[in-house]
Amino acid sequence: MMRRRRSLVVLAFLTVAAGLLWAQQLPKPIGSVNDFANIISADTEQQMEQIIAAVREQTPAEIAVVTVQSMSPYATIEEYGIALADAWKVGSSSDDAGVILILALSEREVRIEVGYGLEGAIPDGKVGAILDNYVVPDLRDGNYGAGLLNGVAAVALEIADEYGVTLTSVEVAPQPTRGDDGFDLGNLVYVIFILIAFGGRMFFWPLLFAGRRRGFYGGGFGAGMSGRSGGSGFSGFGGGGFGGGGASRGF
Amino acid sequence: MARSTRWIAPVAVIAIIVLIAVFWFVGQRNALVTLEVEVDAAWSEVDNQLKRRSDLIPNLVATVQGFAQQEQEVFGDIADARARLAGAQTVGETAESYNELQGALSRLLVVVENYPELRSNENFIRLQDELAGTENRLAVARGRYNDTVRRFNTKIRVFPTNMVANGLGLTEREYFEISESDREVPQVDFSSDG
Repeated sequence: MMRRRRSLVVLAFLTVAAGLLWAQQLPKPIGSVNDFANIISADTEQQMEQIIAAVREQTPAEIAVVTVQSMSPYATIEEYGIALADAWKVGSSSDDAGVILILALSEREVRIEVGYGLEGAIPDGKVGAILDNYVVPDLRDGNYGAGLLNGVAAVALEIADEYGVTLTSVEVAPQPTRGDDGFDLGNLVYVIFILIAFGGRMFFWPLLFAGRRRGFYGGGFGAGMSGRSGGSGFSGFGGGGFGGGGASRGF
Repeated sequence: MARSTRWIAPVAVIAIIVLIAVFWFVGQRNALVTLEVEVDAAWSEVDNQLKRRSDLIPNLVATVQGFAQQEQEVFGDIADARARLAGAQTVGETAESYNELQGALSRLLVVVENYPELRSNENFIRLQDELAGTENRLAVARGRYNDTVRRFNTKIRVFPTNMVANGLGLTEREYFEISESDREVPQVDFSSDG
């Protein structure tokens, strides 16, 4: 009895230790766009943030983008994706409407992780098609920012469709890049930014930020911007649940 | 006066100890019952994903059959394994038939490698994504289930909660084990034709 109990204690300890060790390998979110591998240009990152902000304003959904040098010690991008999703909890806890685009640079893998609440709107087959048509071709050409931006835009359109809204502040028009030879990649997503609408908001973001409650879901946005400008003040995602939906591709 | 109140202190101490024991017992009992409910909930998610996958398979098979009618053997294996999975009663039986189905599906995906036009078929790619997604959801649900079972089994075995568990007649729950050899579904490689 004693012996068995001790081995259980040791087992529990090891499990906790392993859990902590693994948890430490996961980066902390710094905003909507988390370019840890440093492969997205500031301009592209801003375009992504505008689309993501529009989605967050008009729908209960949240999108996050993550790039990492390596997903080690996780063996597959699916394992990494669900671990990250469990840790970050993108999307509101009531709707579970979160989407995470994950790119692991050295493993050359990309995955779109879809939260419970969006599994109907963006089934795995559709995610696979988005990756094949909009994301992977650019990634193969080394245009990581353009590929991920296309992916964000395509996901944003699906989400807008699901909630029956048109993304007003931002015009999103991802175009298939399959078959393109990579010379006009800069023009693949047309994001028309209504400067007046956004200009004022951007100016006031730092002010709004000071008095924000925890969790940016439902109240204002701008965590993405603050993340870019130094990683302080990001108050985390809304608590959305994930069950492993989505699709992955190598590139 | 002093003599007559002397008995109060030990009785109070005993009463407090009994009260603490009762509270502890009730607390542990509730924790165990809650955990048992969690185990059942985690299992139903596994079951959900198994059903979902079972529902996808006929579509996948139909698509493959359109291109590869001559591979009857593997289609038969899949149909048999799927029927057994539907009839499985216990966690162990489910795991066993799951492993069989997994083996048959692996063979199917090996067969698919020989049909390039099938591999680039839009419908097949979509079904393959749905299947892969369901596999992944199943892996996640299985992980969560086994995790909950481990917590439950640990709790009902260690002293002193084992006394409460014995009182409630709780027994250890079964893990959902899958065989390692069948675990990896061979991935259909779409990248080579791009």
